Amino acid sequence: MADLDRGAAPAFWTFKLSPGSYHKLSALLTLALLIFAFSFGNAAFFSVNNGLTVLLQTSVIGLLGIGMTLVIITGGIDLSVGSVLALSGTITGLSVKAGIPVAPAMAIGVMAGAACGFVNGFVITKMKITPFVATLGMMLIARGLALQLTGAAPISRLGESFGLLGNGSLFRIVEKTGGIFPKVVFPGIPYPVILLAVVAVAAAYLLRRRQTGRHIYATGSNEEAARLSGVLVDRTKIFAYALSGALAGLAGNVLMSRLVTVQPNEGVMYELDAIAAAVIGGASLMGGIGNISGTMIGAAIIGVLRNGLNMAGVSAFIQQIVIGVIVILAVYIDQIRNRR
Amino acid sequence: MKPDAPSAAPLVQMDNIEKHFGGVRAVNGVSLDLYPGEVVGVLGHNGAGKSCLMRILSGAMLPSQGTIKVNGEIAEIQTPHDARDLGIETIYQTLALADHLNAPANLFLGRELKTRFGNLDDTKMMSEAVRVLKRLNPNFKNLNDPVSSLSGGQRQVIAIARAIYFNVKILIMDEPTAALGPSETAMVSALIRQLRDEGIGILLVSHDMHDVFELCDRVVVMNKGRKVGSHPIEDVTKDDVLSLIIKGELPHNWVPRSRETIQ
Repeated sequence: MADLDRGAAPAFWTFKLSPGSYHKLSALLTLALLIFAFSFGNAAFFSVNNGLTVLLQTSVIGLLGIGMTLVIITGGIDLSVGSVLALSGTITGLSVKAGIPVAPAMAIGVMAGAACGFVNGFVITKMKITPFVATLGMMLIARGLALQLTGAAPISRLGESFGLLGNGSLFRIVEKTGGIFPKVVFPGIPYPVILLAVVAVAAAYLLRRRQTGRHIYATGSNEEAARLSGVLVDRTKIFAYALSGALAGLAGNVLMSRLVTVQPNEGVMYELDAIAAAVIGGASLMGGIGNISGTMIGAAIIGVLRNGLNMAGVSAFIQQIVIGVIVILAVYIDQIRNRR
Repeated sequence: MKPDAPSAAPLVQMDNIEKHFGGVRAVNGVSLDLYPGEVVGVLGHNGAGKSCLMRILSGAMLPSQGTIKVNGEIAEIQTPHDARDLGIETIYQTLALADHLNAPANLFLGRELKTRFGNLDDTKMMSEAVRVLKRLNPNFKNLNDPVSSLSGGQRQVIAIARAIYFNVKILIMDEPTAALGPSETAMVSALIRQLRDEGIGILLVSHDMHDVFELCDRVVVMNKGRKVGSHPIEDVTKDDVLSLIIKGELPHNWVPRSRETIQ
């Protein structure tokens, strides 16, 4: 059943898809194949509990991937998301320590992420520095800030409510057995998964139905043409980077909340997972192509891969190799598709 | 049609426009008028400054100096948006299409139609696109495909449709027939005449002498950033114009040809 749940969620997205659905179908097929293969590797892989664990892990990559998709469609790249994630979590943690209630503290953290993204966008559009260099700089700046603010030490004892976003779940059914551990009938849908679904729907709506979304595609497709057509190219790009930063901040809050501890060195190399999710989902690094549903499938593939390899007892080093190979393959497929 | 008839006020007056790139004067003190219902050919070598001048009028480039008046009022054209608000539409030689978007999305790019809730009104945009594209080319199909998969002629039709769909008063056409076959070229010619009769002022940048002499009421020739001549078409021959383009001056013994034939 877990498999069905997981398979059905991305499939829901493909319905309204016309062009590029070929790529998405093959990505979905890959996902199904992976799930099929891994369920042979370990019996526990194919269970409701593990399914939810995968979804939980996917939610962080997914949130980062959505922001990354917007940026990649504009023809850019955001290498700073992993560090911004850590900085946002750190700022939330410090705010909570300073006595601010959890919800507003998290809002401050997300806003800090958006501010980082805004700076990225400003540097790229107004100072005309390439996205690669600009966001690489922000990657170091945000990480350095997070480490400096905390003295590189984790912040713990943030209170139970801080862990709610990352660990809570909806529709959790628990049966009282009289023993010490109550029997969990259904572990519930984790809040991060619900959050991801809501953000994904909102982002898909933005890209598909709003003028801003159309301009994001136009900017990545042909920046000069978009500018000549009266599209405010700079504003569109800044918006995409700011949103990517904000979503990185949100992902940071989810992740830190799950650990109930703020880790300033969390999220290293997450940007690569996010880029991989977007590219596997069909986003083109040349700009102009990409969509949220594809990225969700891509994030699920990465999540399943990591989880499945873990459960099959494959070492973390080998995992990196596998994911590296898959990213190259995905880009290769993208190029073949463009040549056609 | 007498373009210099004093009765009509000029649509556009570009006055003493200059554009410098470092020490290079790409456009050097050029003034240009355009009257309603007039087709003015803008000619010159590559690098003569005609594209620069056109880009300044369409808001894609800021002049270093000079003023532009539209309908007699000084116009600050800072962006392509400003130009469009003044009714200045441009068909670029590169067509300026977003390859991954479909025809309606390109047609309405930057000026998308929206529903009451601010969502994109794709249904309306599609039906409007069908209407205007069918008028230009009855065989236009596959409007849903990304424009990268369309033929050169179809892409040109989209670029033209985008310029004339909205309330155009001044149309800049940069090599509009360069990518077209004979029948499509004839369609563009017919369209230019039709727009002229509707009182639209057209600036036609072209290398094709045949087109220029067939369509234009007046030619403006640029050479090395300067305007070297502005003549009603009946006053010059193709050789005169070529002399202006290449040497920057008219032949020695030149007199206005229309007067010559009368004498």
